[in-house]
Amino acid sequence: MAEVILKDVKKVYDNNVVAVQDFNLHIADKEFIVFVGPSGCGKSTTLRMIAGLEEISSGELYIDGELVNDLQPKDRDISMVFQNYALYPHMTVFENIAFPLRLRKTPNDEVFAKVKEVSEILGITEYLNRKPRALSGGQRQRVAIGRAMVRNPKVFLMDEPLSNLDAKLRNQMRAEIILLRKRIDTTFVYVTHDQTEAMTLGDRIVIMKDGFIQQVGTPDEVFDWPDNLFVAEFIGAPKMNTFNAELVEEGGKYYVTPFGSKIEVTGEKGEMLKDKNIGSKPVTLGVRPEHISLAKDNEEGFDVTIQVSEMMGSELHLHTLTDDGTALVVRVQTVSLTAEERAKMKSGEKIRITFSGKVMHFFDQETEKNILR
Amino acid sequence: MSEKSVHVSLSDNLSDLDLLGLTKIQRFIYNIIHFFKGIPSFFVAVFNAIVKGIGNLFKAIGEEFSDIIQTFKDGDWKTRTSFAVMGFGSISRGQVLRGLLFLVFEVVFIVYMFVAGGHWLGKLKTLGDTMASTVYDPKLDTYVRVNGDDSFKCLLYGVLTVIFIIAFIYTWRLNVKQAKVSQDLVARGKKLSSVKDDVSSLLDEQFHKTLLALPLTGIIVFTVLPLIFMILVAFTNYDGAHDGYSNLFTWAGMENFNSLFSLNVGSNNLSLAFGEILSWTLMWAFFATFTNYFLGMFVALMINKKGIKFKKLWRGILVLTSAVPQFISLLYVSKMFSASGLVNGLLINQGIVDLSGIIRFWEDPTLARIMVILINIWVGIPYLMLITTGILMNIPADLYESAKIDGASAVQQFFKITLPYMLFVTGPYLLTSFIGNINNFNVIYLLTGGGPDNIKLLTSAGAAGDTDLLITWLFKITTGAESKYYLASVIGIMIFLVVATLSLIVYNVIPSTKNEEDYQ
Amino acid sequence: MAENKRHMGMKAKNRLSNTLIYILLIIISIVWLIPFVFLVCESFRVESTYQVGYVIPHQWGIDNYVNLFTKTDFPVWFKNTFIIGLFVAVIQTIIVLSMSYTLSRLRFKGRKFLMNVMLILGMFPGFLTMIILYKVLSWFNLTGANSVPGLILVYVASSGMGYYVSKGFFDTISKSLDEAARVDGATRFQVFTKIIMPLAKPIVIYTILTAFMAPWGDFMFAKYIAHATSAGMNVAVGLQNMISTPQSLSANYTMFCAGGVIVAIPITILFMSLQKYYVEGVTGGAVKG
Repeated sequence: MAEVILKDVKKVYDNNVVAVQDFNLHIADKEFIVFVGPSGCGKSTTLRMIAGLEEISSGELYIDGELVNDLQPKDRDISMVFQNYALYPHMTVFENIAFPLRLRKTPNDEVFAKVKEVSEILGITEYLNRKPRALSGGQRQRVAIGRAMVRNPKVFLMDEPLSNLDAKLRNQMRAEIILLRKRIDTTFVYVTHDQTEAMTLGDRIVIMKDGFIQQVGTPDEVFDWPDNLFVAEFIGAPKMNTFNAELVEEGGKYYVTPFGSKIEVTGEKGEMLKDKNIGSKPVTLGVRPEHISLAKDNEEGFDVTIQVSEMMGSELHLHTLTDDGTALVVRVQTVSLTAEERAKMKSGEKIRITFSGKVMHFFDQETEKNILR
Repeated sequence: MSEKSVHVSLSDNLSDLDLLGLTKIQRFIYNIIHFFKGIPSFFVAVFNAIVKGIGNLFKAIGEEFSDIIQTFKDGDWKTRTSFAVMGFGSISRGQVLRGLLFLVFEVVFIVYMFVAGGHWLGKLKTLGDTMASTVYDPKLDTYVRVNGDDSFKCLLYGVLTVIFIIAFIYTWRLNVKQAKVSQDLVARGKKLSSVKDDVSSLLDEQFHKTLLALPLTGIIVFTVLPLIFMILVAFTNYDGAHDGYSNLFTWAGMENFNSLFSLNVGSNNLSLAFGEILSWTLMWAFFATFTNYFLGMFVALMINKKGIKFKKLWRGILVLTSAVPQFISLLYVSKMFSASGLVNGLLINQGIVDLSGIIRFWEDPTLARIMVILINIWVGIPYLMLITTGILMNIPADLYESAKIDGASAVQQFFKITLPYMLFVTGPYLLTSFIGNINNFNVIYLLTGGGPDNIKLLTSAGAAGDTDLLITWLFKITTGAESKYYLASVIGIMIFLVVATLSLIVYNVIPSTKNEEDYQ
Repeated sequence: MAENKRHMGMKAKNRLSNTLIYILLIIISIVWLIPFVFLVCESFRVESTYQVGYVIPHQWGIDNYVNLFTKTDFPVWFKNTFIIGLFVAVIQTIIVLSMSYTLSRLRFKGRKFLMNVMLILGMFPGFLTMIILYKVLSWFNLTGANSVPGLILVYVASSGMGYYVSKGFFDTISKSLDEAARVDGATRFQVFTKIIMPLAKPIVIYTILTAFMAPWGDFMFAKYIAHATSAGMNVAVGLQNMISTPQSLSANYTMFCAGGVIVAIPITILFMSLQKYYVEGVTGGAVKG
C-alpha cells in the first residue's frame, strides 16, 4: 500500500539504445495502473525499473515516499508476476508460494497459515504438493499470483501475466484479477500489449510508444479524448478509421467534407471548435467503426464498396473501400438491420454510409495531436 | 540459365535478388570468390580494429589523467592526502578497514621495491651479468661454488616486479577514485557503507567478485604469468646449455623467429622442419575433424533410423568403448599394429604373409599417417555419435514431414534438412574440435610417438618424425637432450598464431556463426 | 493395384536398407569391441609375457594381475591417480561452476572482456606454460616423487578456462527465475544456492565426472612433472613407461594389458552409470562450444 512516483525516469542501454525517457507518473495509493503499448515501447522496461531488475539510468523513483533508485529488488517490498510465471521447477507449489516468506525467516506456522489462506483464495489447495510441471497454464498462473500476494507487498507488479494463456482462459483470469484486486487492495502496476486488458482492468491507463508516454488517463478519457493519432488508433477494436479531410467553417458552423460529403460537427466537439476558433484547415479525421452508420435516404453520406464482411455474431464488421480507395471499417449491430439490409451486406455490394457529427476526432496533420486537447 | 545471369559478373557484389537468379554452381562459385575476397578486407578490418583499440586505450589513459587532476583540484584535504598516503580518504571518513588495506598495500609495495624490486628490475635488462664460478676455499681445502646471477630468476622476478608495479598503479588509481566517491557521498549527506555492508554486498551486488576470486587467481598465477614469461623466453637463448643457473642466458631479440623463417638451409633446417610439421598438423587436423564428424553423424543416423531395433544396445556398445580411458585403447592399439604385434602375428599364423612380408604400420610414413587418422576415427566416433544423436533429436519433426509432403526423398531430406541444420548447430563445435586436433597430443604421442623419425626433420633441437604435430614436437624439444626452451616457446607462439587466425576467420567470414537465430 | 505395388516396393526397399544397416552396425560393433576383447584375453595369458600371434591364451591365469600388484609400482600409480582424481573432481567442480555461473547469469563490467581474454589464453598450447611451472614447482619440491600435489595444482588452477559446457547449461535456465527470486527477497547468493544449484544437478554431476576422469587419461603434464620418478607417476605414464622400450615391452606386455583392464573397469563402470548426465552435458553444452 503505497504510492509510486516516477520523476524524469530514463533508461539507456549499454548499446546506447534509449528504451524509456521523460517518464513522469504519479501512481496513487491502491491505484490499478496499466502500462500498454506495442512491443518495444518501453512498458516492460519501466516495470522492471520499478522492480529493481533494471538500473535506472537517470531520474528518480519513489515508493511510499522513499527514494529507491539504488535499492535491490528484495529491499523494495514489491512483488511481481512474470509472463512465463517463473515458478521454481524443483519446488512444490507450497514451497513456491512459501519461498518469499522463508527468505524472510517467517515462523513455520505463520508460513503455513499464510500459504493456506492464499491458496484458498486462489483455489489451488489441491495442488499444493505438486511440482509446477504437473500443472496447467491457468494453475501455474494462479500459483505465480499466490507467490506474489503471500507477503502483502507495497506494490504488486504484473508483466503481461495473461499473454501465455489461451483466449478463453485469458478472459476468465482477467475477471478473476478484477475480483482479486478487490481483496488484495494494494497498488497495482500491470503491463500488457492488449488494449482490452488495459481498458477492463485499469483505473488509469498509460499508453506508451517508442519510450515515451503518449497519454495517461482513465479508460473513458483515453477512449473518448485520445491525445493523439497513435492513442486513437491503439485504443478500441476494431481500430479507429483515420483519413484526411477538410475542416470547413461556415458562418459559425463547422463541417467536415469526407469523400465528397458534407457533415456538420455538432455537440460538444462543435462547441469546442467554435470556442477555440480553429478556422478552416485540413485535418486527419478519426471515426470509430461503431460510430459509422448506414445513411438514411435523406441523410448526408457517401458510397463505399464492401470488400469483406465479417459476421461476428451480434455485429458485422464490414471492410470497405471508398470511391477514392480509402479503407474504412464499419461496425454494424446485426439486430438493427432489416432482412433486406442484411442481405445487402456482401462483398462487392455498394452501401451508403454516414457518421454522427458528435463523435468525430480531429488531429493535426503535421503533429498528429488532437486539435481539441 | 537465364539471360540475365550471363551478364552479371560473379566477382561483383550482387543483390539478393540477383543472387537467387543464379544457378547452383554459379552461386557456389560466387560464394567461394567472395569468401576469398572477404579475407583481405577482413584483415584490414582486424588491423583497423587493433589501431582503433590502441587509440581508445590512449584516449582512456588521457581521460584517467585528466580525471586524476580534476580529483586533485576538487578534492578536500582528506582526498588530497590520499594521493600520497593511500587509503587516507577512507580512514578519515570512517571506512577504516578499507583504508587500512590500501595503506598496507602501499607499505608492502614500498618496502618490496627498496628491498628487492629495484634489484630485479635492474637485472631485467641483461638477465644477469655475473657467472657462477668456483673458487678455492683454503679452510675446506676444496673448490666451492660461488653463486652468480640466475638468469631464470632474473627474468621471473623482473617480470613479477613489473606486474607488481602495474598492480600498484592500478590500486593507487582505485584509491584516488575511492577517495573522490566517498567525498562526494559525504558532501551529498549520504552514509558511507560499513564493513558489514561491504561484506554482505559480496553476497549480492558484488557476488561475481566472490565467485570469480578463486578461478581468476588460479588463471592469473598458473596461466597468465607463465605465458608472459614464456613469451619473453622466445626472445632469449634459454636452453639446456644456457640454463641460467650454471650458464647465463640473455636476450636474443628476433633471432629465434628469424631462424624459424630463414630460407638459408645451410646451417640449420629449422624452417624446413617447421614447414613440414605445420602442414602435416593442419592436414591431420582437417582429416581428423571431418572424418570423425561425418562418420559419427552417419553412425548416429543409422542408429536413429526409424524401424531399427536395439537402439540402446548399439549406442551402448559405442559409448562403452569411449568410456575406457583413451591412453589404454591408444597404447594397446599402437602395440597391436606394431611390427611384432598381434595383427602381424595373426597374419603370419594364418599364413597370409610370411615373416618377410609383415606390414610395418608405424615405419612407413604414409601408412603411419593413414593409420593415425583411422585409429582416431575409432577413438572419436562414439563421442561424435553421442553429440549428433542429441542434435538430431532436436530437429523439429515437422520439418521432415513438410519435406516429405513436398516430395523430398530420404537422401534429399538429409542434404536439405539434416546436414544444414547439423552444420549450423555444430559450427562452433567444429572449430573447437579442429583446434583440439591441432593440439591433439595424446593420439599422436601414444600411437606413434611422432615416428617414424625423418632425417629431413632432424634439427639442432633433436629428432622429429613424420606424424609429429607441432604440439608433440614442442614436447620433444622441451624434454629432449638439448632442451631448447626458447624454440619450444617460439613454436608455442606459432601454434597460437595459427589457431587465432583460424578462429578469427571462421568467426568473421563464415556467416553461420552470425545468424544465430535462423534455426531457433 | 498400382498403388499397392508401389507401397509394397517401398516396404521392400525399406527392409533392404534396414538389413544393410543391421549388417553395418554389427560390423561396427565388432570393430569397436574387438580390441578390448583382445586386451582382456591377453591380460590372462600365462605362458608368455611378450606379444604373440594369437588371441586365446594357451594357459589362462591371473599371474599378470598378481605380478602387477607385487612386482611393479602399479599400486602407487593407481593410488596417485585416484587421489589426484578426487581432489581435482572437488576443486575443479567448484571453480568451473563459479566461473560458468558468473559468466552466464551475472552481469558486471568487464564480463565480455574477461571472456575474450580467456578465449585468447585458450589458444596457447597449455603445455607451453609447463616449462616454467615445472621449474617453480620443483623449487617447492612438488615434482618427481612428490608430483601428486603439483599435478593437482596444475590441473585445477586453470580449470576456470573450461567453463564453456556448463555455461551453456546455465544459459538454458530461464532468466526470469533469478528475477522472480530476487523480487521475492533473495540475494544473488541465495539465488545461486536455492534456485539455480538445485536445478543444475545434471551439469554438476557432469562436471564432477569429467574432472575426476581427466587425470586418468592425462599423459603430457603427468609425464613432464613426474619426470622419470616412478613414485610420482599416474597410471597412464606408469603403464606407458612399462612398455616404452623393446626390452620392457617383451617383459611386461601382458602385465600392461592387465593394468589396462584394471584401470578401465572402474572408470568404465563409473562412466556408464552416470552416462545419462554425461550425455545431457555433452549434448547440452558441448555443441555451443
